Amino acid sequence: MAEPVLEVHDLHVTFSTEGGLVPAVDGIDFAVAPGETLAIVGESGSGKSVSSAAVMGLLPSNADVTGEVLLDGRELIGLPNDELRKIRGNDIAMVFQDALSALNPYYSVGWQVAEAYRLHHDVSKKKAHQRAIEMLDKVGIPDAARRADGYPHEFSGGMRQRVVIAMALVNDPRVLIADEPTTALDVTVQAQIMQLLEDVQAEFGTAMVLISHDLGVVAEVADDVLVMYAGRAAERGTVRDLFYRAAHPYSLGLLGAMPRVDVPPKLRLTTIPGSPPTPGSITTGCAFQPRCAYTDRVGERCITERPELTPRPGEGDHEAACHLGRRPSDV
Amino acid sequence: MPDLVWFIVRRLFAALIVMLALSLAVYLVFYAIPADPAHLACGKPCTPDRLEQARHFMQLDQSTLQQYLNFLKGIVAGRTFGDGAAAVHCNAPCFGYSFPLARPVTTLIMDRLPITASIALGAAVLWLLLGVSLGVIAALNRGRILDRLAVGVALLGVSTPSFLLGLLAILVFGFWLNMVPVNGYVPLTESPVDWAWHLITPWIVLAILQAASYIRLTRSQMLEELNLDYITTARAKGAGELRVVVTHGLRGVLVPVITLFGLDLGGLLGGAILTEKVFSMQGLGDLLISAVGQLDVAVVVGVTLFSAFLIILANLVVDVVHGVLDPRVSHG
Repeated sequence: MAEPVLEVHDLHVTFSTEGGLVPAVDGIDFAVAPGETLAIVGESGSGKSVSSAAVMGLLPSNADVTGEVLLDGRELIGLPNDELRKIRGNDIAMVFQDALSALNPYYSVGWQVAEAYRLHHDVSKKKAHQRAIEMLDKVGIPDAARRADGYPHEFSGGMRQRVVIAMALVNDPRVLIADEPTTALDVTVQAQIMQLLEDVQAEFGTAMVLISHDLGVVAEVADDVLVMYAGRAAERGTVRDLFYRAAHPYSLGLLGAMPRVDVPPKLRLTTIPGSPPTPGSITTGCAFQPRCAYTDRVGERCITERPELTPRPGEGDHEAACHLGRRPSDV
Repeated sequence: MPDLVWFIVRRLFAALIVMLALSLAVYLVFYAIPADPAHLACGKPCTPDRLEQARHFMQLDQSTLQQYLNFLKGIVAGRTFGDGAAAVHCNAPCFGYSFPLARPVTTLIMDRLPITASIALGAAVLWLLLGVSLGVIAALNRGRILDRLAVGVALLGVSTPSFLLGLLAILVFGFWLNMVPVNGYVPLTESPVDWAWHLITPWIVLAILQAASYIRLTRSQMLEELNLDYITTARAKGAGELRVVVTHGLRGVLVPVITLFGLDLGGLLGGAILTEKVFSMQGLGDLLISAVGQLDVAVVVGVTLFSAFLIILANLVVDVVHGVLDPRVSHG
């Protein structure tokens, strides 16, 4: 792997609420290099979106963030807001899940893309508008010069997501965080949008952090995968590690719940019993233990001892946080 | 932009229909009341003969429908009461004729309008600025001391009667501190400085009372707005907090605020009755109150219709401003 452009070490995010302290992210590490894609996978509430917001410094004031977020080796946590502002949208940009609500309904899409450019470049409005049209054209909006004057509600879902992507890429960011960029779209449009993201990534050498619960998309575009569960890393490795050598029972559960074309259609999709724990409710042992099918094979350790990410012998950088030493399927 | 023009034409047409229906309702209501304007005009002693003469002269002997049609015709073409040397002429647009005041209602309204408009417009600018800025400050400092203070001021404003605050202001700033004139009105054309100086107290009093609802509306609207996804987008783009709040947040806040503002201003232009009374200003409200006292039905109908017209106009302006502020409205 090339020198990473974004590194996150031991990231903790704790929200102080009226009900007490809620640890949403409890120590995760990841890194992503230029041109590479890291997928962060997990159920709702696993802390994946909170992690990305923490990287951007976009969390509300009741969130306490500790750890390291390094952009080209420069620590972002604790930077004054003014400095962070210069990085947001410029070095690290974001693509959101729901393009309709992510775009401001009161301004034309061209204006919104141009604004992103003007916030980081000292140029005239006219220049910025030209740049916006150029960008809208690049993300595949037909007749961009005319459509730039349109408002978000006049665009289809896929076109709106293209606008959001144009807005994110207008400053040629080093890192692109895509938070479930295709969840709100039709399946056919999903494929187009993912293709677009891959194309621009290849063209600009952008490092991409893809947050998703769609393993199909992940298999398609990711280089590395981080599986998150209850605010912690369950498994980390290359996309091949996850799909061919998944080591954590939770990852196996996710894979089993994914529809596939290469298995006989009579085989039922499996589900993971139970539901994810509320953040902070499991303080000792493995957070996945109550839902785990393999606890019997390990015994008490699952309840008393929290598993740490440990390298899988002979599998490079592949790591899993599970007391079960062998691959579950071999047991 | 042709979208917007078409939108305005549609709204104008709707406004015209509403005005027509409204004029009929107002006319019927006020002419159905038992007071007989002819009775007042015929003087004492009032013989049946003279009463009949007065009724004929004032065209009250015709059917109610005919009277209403005369009224409508008067608006377009003007009308004449009586004939020969004694004839009274009321030029178009004629909204009726006040026999007790011996003047067309239109003239009466136009004479008084500048005073009411001066009070209302000045106060409106003040309360809009005050209300929106305090509302935004409250929202940005939610739960903190500034927020509590703004909400407290708002509560006080809503619950204070205008005559009380007006009289207190006159007492403190007019008499005790002797800073501002106690009453009277100076036309803007005569002396702009004196004009503003005489109006400053009613402006501030009205603004404080009206700003209250604007503080509350702006605050709640802004709090909602700041939770929207596109606000997060603006931050993620690298926009500074001021830009996030003013450029991205305030736009959505202004839509409901402008609606309220248009209606409030339209209502106030029809006469700030209590404020005019307290500050002894002869505006539309004062005209209406004395007309009611003298059973001068023509003036009551005229002023009522004029106020209604202002509200409809305000609604129209609000709709157009909506169309400009929110592209989803005019394109929809």
